This record gives sequence, C-alpha cells and structure tokens, in this order.
Amino acid sequence: MTNTRKGASLPAEGSVQKGIIDFVKQALKQGVFDAVLIPSRVPAGDSFAYFLVRDEAFLKGASPLPPIMPVQGARVISSITRRGKGKTGIAAIMRPCEARATIELAKLAQVDLEYVTIITVDCPGVIPLSDYFEGAGKGDKLFEDASQNWNSGPMRPVCRICDKFSASGGQDIHIGTLGTKSGSILLIPNSSKGEEILNRLGMSAEEDISGWEARVNKLIDERRKERKQNNDAVRADIEGIDKLVQAFSTCINCHNCMRVCPICYCRQCHFDSDNMKFGFEDYLMRAEGRGGLTIPTDTLLFHIGRMLHMSLSCVSCGMCEDACPMAIPVAQIFTLVGDRNQEEFDYVPGRTVDEPLPLTTFEEDEFQEVEQSYAAVSARQEN
Amino acid sequence: MTKVLNIGKSAEDGLKELLKFLLENGKVKGVVTLRKTGEDGAISYSLITNPDDIESTAPLFPLMLVNLAKQLSRLTLIEAATEPIAVVLRPCELRAFVELVKRTQGSLDNILFISSTCGGVYPLEMAVKGNIEEHLPEYWKAVEQGELAPNTRLACQACEYFVPYTADVAVSLLGNEGIDKETMLFLNTEKGEGIVEGIKGKFAEGELATVAIEQIRSKRKAEKEKLSDQAELQNLGIDEIAKTFSRCIGCRNCSAVCPACYCHVCFFQTETSQHERAYYERELEKKGCMTMLSDTIFYHLVRLFHVSISCTACGQCADVCPANIPLWAISLKMGDAVQRTFDYLPGKDIEEGLPLTTFVPEEFAGIV
Repeated sequence: MTNTRKGASLPAEGSVQKGIIDFVKQALKQGVFDAVLIPSRVPAGDSFAYFLVRDEAFLKGASPLPPIMPVQGARVISSITRRGKGKTGIAAIMRPCEARATIELAKLAQVDLEYVTIITVDCPGVIPLSDYFEGAGKGDKLFEDASQNWNSGPMRPVCRICDKFSASGGQDIHIGTLGTKSGSILLIPNSSKGEEILNRLGMSAEEDISGWEARVNKLIDERRKERKQNNDAVRADIEGIDKLVQAFSTCINCHNCMRVCPICYCRQCHFDSDNMKFGFEDYLMRAEGRGGLTIPTDTLLFHIGRMLHMSLSCVSCGMCEDACPMAIPVAQIFTLVGDRNQEEFDYVPGRTVDEPLPLTTFEEDEFQEVEQSYAAVSARQEN
Repeated sequence: MTKVLNIGKSAEDGLKELLKFLLENGKVKGVVTLRKTGEDGAISYSLITNPDDIESTAPLFPLMLVNLAKQLSRLTLIEAATEPIAVVLRPCELRAFVELVKRTQGSLDNILFISSTCGGVYPLEMAVKGNIEEHLPEYWKAVEQGELAPNTRLACQACEYFVPYTADVAVSLLGNEGIDKETMLFLNTEKGEGIVEGIKGKFAEGELATVAIEQIRSKRKAEKEKLSDQAELQNLGIDEIAKTFSRCIGCRNCSAVCPACYCHVCFFQTETSQHERAYYERELEKKGCMTMLSDTIFYHLVRLFHVSISCTACGQCADVCPANIPLWAISLKMGDAVQRTFDYLPGKDIEEGLPLTTFVPEEFAGIV
C-alpha cells in the first residue's frame, strides 16, 4: 500500500454502483481506458457475468458489485492476457479477493499485467450461488438490503469472515464506499499508474479519507475476531485423520473446487491425469488390505494435494465452496489451512506483485525448528 | 420366460444375502455396491472383498452420488477385472458402462451385473440436506405401486428405460407388492443362472417385462412430455439456447461427472481452445462488448454434439450444476432426437456398433 492517505470524492447520484459506472464511462469517453472489464447482468436477467466493454452503450447492464460471484475475475483476466501481447488497455473492476488472486496469477505467469489496470471496490460480500439461483429472483433484493447495511448474514461463509474486503493489495485504484456520505464514492490511488489515471481524468486526490479508513479498520478488527472464531470451529471439526476423512466423506470427486479455483491454474490436474489411474489388481489389493475401498478412490488425497499446491496463494474467495455439489465447507477448511501456512511465511497472497512466492525463495536459516541437524540424524543412524 | 430365484426376505436383505453368498463361496472376489461409510450415514460406492462387510451395504439406497459407469471404467481401463466381481448398479449406469466399453474405456469381462427395475434416485441436494432416510418409507411405497416417488430426480421421473436390459441378474422392484418379504431375482443370462447354483431359495419361471411394467412405461412417457414442456425448451433455437445457458459459470462440472464424456482431456481444457489476446482485441473491435468467460455456449453445444448419441439421461449433470441449469431436460431432448434418428438405444446391446462408426450409403437421403 502506498502512503497516500488522500482520495478524490466523486458524486454518486442514486447509488454507489451508479457512481462507479459514471466514473468508468467518463474514463472510456476520454480514452483513459480502451476497454473495461466489468460485472454485468446477463441479457436473460437471471445472472451476472463479466463483460469486456469497449463501447459505452454496453454499460447499460453494468453492475460493479453483483450479488453473486459466478466466475472469479482472476480467471477472466488470465484467459484474456495469458497468451500473446496486447495493446488494448483494460481496466478491470473487481472485488478485492479477485484482485489478489489476479496478482498471484501474475506471479505464476498466468496473467500479464501490462495494459491492465486493477480497480477494486469495498466489498460487502456475495451471496452463495445456490441461494441466488434457488431464490427465484429474491436474491437481488436480499443482497441489496444486506449490502446497504454491511450485514454479512446472507453472504458466503468466507465473506462473513473476510478481513481483506477493502484495499487489500494489488489494485491501482481503490473505490471506497464503506460509510461514505450518501451520494459519493472515494477514488483512492494505490499506485503511480492509479495516480496518473486520476490526474488524466482531472480528479485531484486531495480529500482527507481518514474517516473512511477508521471505519474500514474497525470492521477489519471485527472480522479478524470472527475469522479466528470460525477457524477454531473448523479446526475442531477436521483435526486428526479421522475427522478429516469424515469432513470429506461425501466428496464425489468431481474436482469442481479445483476447476473454479482461480489459483488452481494447471492445464491438467495431476489428479485427472493418467498417473492417478491404476490397474484392477491394484484396486483389488487396496480393497483387501483395508476392509473395502471407497469409490471414487483417492478423494482425500486429491484435497490434500490441492491444499499443498495452492494454500499459500489462497485468497479465500469461496468459489470452491459455492461450486461444490455436496456443500462441503471447502473454502472454510482451506481458509484455516491457508491462514496458517501464509502466517508461517509472513506472506499475504496478492499484497503486492513484487513480493515473491514463498516457495521460489530460499532462506538458509528458516524453519530450523522443524529441521533435524545433520549431527542428530547421523548420531541416530549410528545408534 | 426367464428363470426366477425367490429368496424369502425383503428385496434389500435378499440382495445382500446373494452378495454374501457370492463372496463366501468364492464365486466372486469382490463386490461393488453402495455402502454406509461415515458416522453421519454418508453413503458411497465401495469395492468389498470380505463377506462380513456386506452387512454394512445398502445396495438399493436411492441415491446416485456418482454414475458408477464412470467408476467402473476407471477400475477396468488399464486391465479388465482379473478376478470375477459382482456389481450392483442402476439400469442407466449399466447402459452408460456398455457405451464406455464400446469406446474401449473399460471391459465387461469377469463382471456379474446385478440391477433392478429402477424407481429412481433422490437428487444430491437431498443428500446434502441429509433427509433421505425420512423419505424412504414413501419411496418404497411408491416403488411397490409402480409409481414415481415425489421429489426424485426429474431425470428419473422422465425415465422410460428403467428395466435393466443386459443385467445378468435383475431384481424386480417396480410395481412388485411383495418386495418387503421376498426378493425376486430374474436370472437373465446363463452367467446369472449359473452363479446362483447352491443358494437357498425357490426357483420358478417368470417374465420381468410384464403388462404392469408397460403401464409404468406409458406413465413415465407422459411425465416426460410434461416435464419437458415445463423446462420450456420446445424450440431450442438460438435464443432459447442463449437464454438457458447464459447463467453457466463455465465450471464444466456437467462434463466432469458425465459417464459419456470420457475424453481424458476435454478439448475445452486444451491449449488449442485458448484464445490469443489479439483474438479478444479483434472481437472487441468488431462487437464493442464480449461476455467473459467466452465460449460457454459453444462448449455446451459441442458437448451435446459429442455425448447425445450415448447419453443415458442419468441426470448427474443437472444435479451437480451450480447454476441450476435444467441440463437433464436438454440432454434428454437432444439424446432422444439423435438416438431416434439412428434408431439406437445406448447401452442396449454391446454388439450394436456406435452409429458414427457405421456407414450406410443410403441413409439420410433426405438431407444429403
């Protein structure tokens, strides 16, 4: 985060969403952005999708803070920028967890941030896909009522414990809305690129934003407490191999958690590969050896493997849990593990693009408490 | 007429007795069936080798967590079963497995197939809520009367292929009022007849496809029309397709759980299917706006194109869709149309070639 503690206040007639759309329109019109990636209502009206918009006429259905997250925005940016160079400048309006996942993907060479401007918005959370699609039209109202009061009750379980709902990293501009006086939004530059954009738009970031900051920090404190409580509760449910097996016992091995995860970027997952297909004899032997073999096989191995691969970069967006047909609390489990792992490395995924992935750096003197010295190992061998 | 074995116990207990008999007498080395696993009553398929473990099975529990065809393919893909096993599965799963074997994704060798006249399964969401047990009395009452239990999968309510064509052993359930005290096992094949030799029970002759079964089929057909109308897919023109799939989140879980989608790497997962950044810029220039992720409707159309000839309408795709898209109705409609065109019922006969592997010079003269 930069030390800029100032922002530009922009009138938002009617609603915060309208204010953001007006800002985007102006930037498109003045050619500051060539194109905008913005959540929008689909023409059928029953869901939302990211629209990549060049012509401002298509901003009609724009909805910068939709009630649901059907696709993680980082995956969208990746699909657009992963192959080849571009020349169209794209401004992406995203939720903070989407921005942080985008930064992680940039570190993993799955996103090219050149020509991409990331704009985040204070996020009240999203409601679970199942609640939205089963609610037959009630979801919009449910979200609107809850988000206006920052009531996290109907939101995804991981949204309720999210302490990075505001300017949490990776963005060029953050849009502050939490408790801003009605009819305005705060545009806060968070990089030199962001500052330049606001300058080009003639918006001077001179306004004192300490009131907004205080409100954000207060909510962060509350959420941290709730996060700790939830992590403790999840830990009590899954600690030890028996409970862990139980937690994933209804898994149908569809791997949908992996497919919707922004961080799981492998083209082909190891667990879908031929390496995980075995001969009949092997399955029979396993069945004989342990009093029956549960089918599908290797489900827990998959979850542990996935956890090992992505938990350092997990941004707790909750896509996995939303996409799980068996309602396994995947995101809450991964949040617990992610928090622990990230803490060990003092790493916050998506905080800045310059911060290297922990596994790409090596410090000779780290984790000595879990190492055995050469002397100790050889002494044991001699005995 | 078929040879019928009557075990004087309820259908589920009789079936368990058969499975235990097969294991105890070394007639099979393993059994694949549903089993209660977790403390919370979780159910999953299991490969069992110890006869004592049969007690914990629930072969007729009305839930399809995974389509077993896909799992049997996994078990027999690298090598056919090296020892004889018995598998209890639903008619649509059996048909789907036969289709997979036609595509060299598994082997029928050494497998004894046990199926039933199927009353359908409950949706996965009911398993999530954990209240299937409460519905069981209602379910079995409906099955006895040859009715559709309320709240079963819509795909099951519209299913007219509930008789297991190629099973070695078929348990009579639908419209059989005696299932709480007797197990009627129709021994459809020589293998089925031979393997029960030595079991305690009464033998007789009978017919699985009775008049009652035909009546049930007519009812299901009517239900299918009704449900199909409710899904509002009469025309399936470009507008309906766009409308139906516009809430697709691009997760491709429909493909992941589909027994007919057997490709080890889906085209839409490949590097070939990914666009260059320049593509997006060109499209954007042309249209002014693009929906992201791109190609979701394209994906569904291609999938329908690939699977509809072998789709057994099991309904797994619809059950796992996070966006509640009525995929079961779409697959059913497409499958029906394509299969009728080729006069082909997937999985009915292992000897019948896949329509696209055969060429009849004079076919479709009307559209050539």
